[in-house]
Amino acid sequence: MNDSNYIEFENYISNELSSEEKKHFEEKLNTNANLKEEFEIYKALNTSLSSKFSNEGEEQNLRKTLTKLGNKHITKKGKVIELKTYKNLMIAASIAIIVGLFVFNNNTPSYNDYANHNALELVVRGENNEAFSRAEEAFNSKNYEEALKELTFLSNIYLTDTEIQLYKGICLLELGNYYEAEAIFDKISTGTSSLSSTAVWYKALSLLKQKKYIACKQLLKIIPQSAPEYNKAQDLLDKL
Amino acid sequence: MTLKPHSDHIYIEALLTNNSRVLSKIYELFTPKIISYIKKNSGSADDAQDIIQETLVTIYHQAKEKNLVLTCPFDAYFFLLCKRKWLNELKKRGVNRVTILEDETSISDIEEQQVEETEIFEEQQQLFDTMFKKLGEKCQELLKTTFKIKSMEKVAELLGVTYGYARKKKSQCMGQLTKLVKNAKAFHQLKKY
Repeated sequence: MNDSNYIEFENYISNELSSEEKKHFEEKLNTNANLKEEFEIYKALNTSLSSKFSNEGEEQNLRKTLTKLGNKHITKKGKVIELKTYKNLMIAASIAIIVGLFVFNNNTPSYNDYANHNALELVVRGENNEAFSRAEEAFNSKNYEEALKELTFLSNIYLTDTEIQLYKGICLLELGNYYEAEAIFDKISTGTSSLSSTAVWYKALSLLKQKKYIACKQLLKIIPQSAPEYNKAQDLLDKL
Repeated sequence: MTLKPHSDHIYIEALLTNNSRVLSKIYELFTPKIISYIKKNSGSADDAQDIIQETLVTIYHQAKEKNLVLTCPFDAYFFLLCKRKWLNELKKRGVNRVTILEDETSISDIEEQQVEETEIFEEQQQLFDTMFKKLGEKCQELLKTTFKIKSMEKVAELLGVTYGYARKKKSQCMGQLTKLVKNAKAFHQLKKY
């Protein structure tokens, strides 16, 4: 193979041959296995390098995003509550629930003061778009019964989606199904999802709604300072 | 043949568009399993973060260059890629026969095939990369410039040479690179993709 072969490859790839020359070149390829092999490599290299170098900037930007997400979700710095600590605190909280029943409280904050849910905005997944927008519409207009129906449907498809689970829990809480709601919050908060502290906050709200103040306080105390719910939790703690 | 994309193809699109909202879903939903696998097999959280990031960048390149269409669930595909990448890394580090804890995920043929395509793509990329670095400095520079700028006229202008000369030089450098790849041992092990 010599330079003129490679020039021919280049001309063929960049479409600079006349139809006559093109036909001639293709015939050569079909009869010369060695030529064909080198041409295939040449072509693959051309595509690969072209894609690599022209997307260098884009790759760098993607890497920046991924590093940020990795730092947040993987090498997280004390953001998510350790499972063991959480379990201990849950035991403490359930003892407190029993005690709490005997504690008389007046002039205490109410659930409604804190039940300002973030609007539901689910990522569109390409399919089931209508169910997504129905769920969003129902939830955001406080039609929790309808929202629960749509979210239950979606949660059966997207089994591992914590966001859908969380909002399902909120609907149940709003509808007064504390037992089911808290089961969902517990599951999320013991997992590694970034929503785990949000789930702890909602379990605390569920306890607040049932006037189990002491248990509620116990839970509020474990919401870490780095969590978005921290300020709300401190505020509620002060009032309890 | 046009393949029907799986609904999880949104994650591939998110890589292409650098959509951090959807990408954060990948970290939320699919990485805990990978992290725990790596940690159980002599790795750290930092190792896991690297393996996950490099795998995602490879998928990005495959999508960009080969229009990868995801036809299976992302979860199993991604897990298997990260797992095998980690096992390779362990081999490279010469970790003495650690007990590899097998996970119990079963995978379908379609997932296996999709994983294999990505792995072959990556091996090819690595081979091309290694060989590219063996070229002389001038060839490397010239090729980088031509692929970045795309218009040969502009390249010629930039380098202060004629259009014909620039093209001739490009094809010569590419020819050298072709030969390097052809003679590389790894090339013969690489199936054609």
